[in-house]
Amino acid sequence: MADILNQDDFRQRLTEYLEAVLGEPVELQPPQLLISGINHENWLLRGQIQDQPRQFVLRRDLAADFQTPSLTHDQEFSLMQAAAAAGVRVPTPRWFCTETAILGTPFMLMDYIEGVSLGAEVVSLPELAAARRVLPEQMGQQLARIHAIKTEQLTFLPRPGSDQSPAQAALHHLNTALNRLEAPNPALTFALRWAEQHLPPTGDVVLLHGDFRLGNFIVNEAGLKGIVDWEFSQIGDPCQDLAWPCVRSWRYGDGQLPLGGFAAREPFISAYEAASGRTIRRETVDFWEIMGNLRRAIGALIQANRYRASGTANVEFANLGRRSAEIQLEALRLIAEQGV
Amino acid sequence: MYDQPTLIELLNVVRVHLKDQIIPLLAEDNKLYPQTLAAINALRIAERELILTTEHMQAEWQRLNFVQQVKTALPAAAETTREALTERNHKLCAQIAAGEFDAFPQKAALFEHLLATTTEQVQVANPRFLQLLAREDAERERKR
Repeated sequence: MADILNQDDFRQRLTEYLEAVLGEPVELQPPQLLISGINHENWLLRGQIQDQPRQFVLRRDLAADFQTPSLTHDQEFSLMQAAAAAGVRVPTPRWFCTETAILGTPFMLMDYIEGVSLGAEVVSLPELAAARRVLPEQMGQQLARIHAIKTEQLTFLPRPGSDQSPAQAALHHLNTALNRLEAPNPALTFALRWAEQHLPPTGDVVLLHGDFRLGNFIVNEAGLKGIVDWEFSQIGDPCQDLAWPCVRSWRYGDGQLPLGGFAAREPFISAYEAASGRTIRRETVDFWEIMGNLRRAIGALIQANRYRASGTANVEFANLGRRSAEIQLEALRLIAEQGV
Repeated sequence: MYDQPTLIELLNVVRVHLKDQIIPLLAEDNKLYPQTLAAINALRIAERELILTTEHMQAEWQRLNFVQQVKTALPAAAETTREALTERNHKLCAQIAAGEFDAFPQKAALFEHLLATTTEQVQVANPRFLQLLAREDAERERKR
């Protein structure tokens, strides 16, 4: 729930906000919490606008993330509009509000898409069995569309420096983040150096979703209905987005099935190649899978450190710091497979 | 010397209390339920660390001696060992970044050490993950 508001206040303030932006009478039912994550909350809003039943999702951030340079809500909003225009399945974004006086944090409203997004449910619900069979191909096709979005208007997107490849830019970011922790971590230091010495050749540079994985997909019986959480979008190597949904942290079912723990990697990549016309070097995807684990491992340490620095007791953040080790171990094992 | 219960027993009794007495009351609470499960997990980590830390610090110290090609004696007190290990790991990171382990056989020795140290960390933080990896490795071996 909004930290400083009770549920009635929350509803009242949103009603006033929507009436102000729409100039129409609005009647809302009590908001229902859909997802309460470490970084953000999603609320389902049902109500009547101009006497029409409408459903929206309200998304508000609880704290800025750190893992890659993240976008502001208005930037994410423009990006989702561009994605929708390019035929990507994305909830239609409606309004964003940077005024913190209303809910205590900025927020964004988008159309509600009915379906399941929790990774553990997507991989296990019996009614989604048919969806799981088509999901790898749909993911590949949708990702090809995302990577084809024109970026000229989206000047705010983080991108590698003119003298850097996407991999070098990502490594620079991770090294900086690790050094800022001021706690020695030889495993991560070694892994980052290994990556620096095994940089993939630079290919196309495209718009990335940046967090393309189970958990950020709304899935129903027909498969992939909506792609959400665009705030990590950036310009980079397509293989980064192809590797990310295969990182072990996002394998909600069987750890041996790289794609989300429910499917093999190859059908996903082949579908992407067919839809994009691009030939994907599998070794480059392997490289970015290691990078993805490093991003997760360092991210967990930073989140734990934030809790230590703030002095507030947050036991979930505290545990995250210790969970980093298993992601580091995964990175080391993947490096061993490639050859130390 | 303290009277009983021991530190591990104290942590254990708090954890069992949370698990058996508090968790059943929180099933409907979307916030406190996961947070209290996380609290129970944090106590488990602390219990495992108390049991394993001496052995792990000694093993790490010996491996560092091998990797860094020195023969430093292990400090007597645990706190001093912890601080000294932090120092040594700072130095190891600087050596890695400076390229001192870029060539074999130093690189292989370092890698073995990093695998062992990270595995020990996971033994404390989440031993189930190691069991999962072992099962996967066995299955992959069987398929070959």
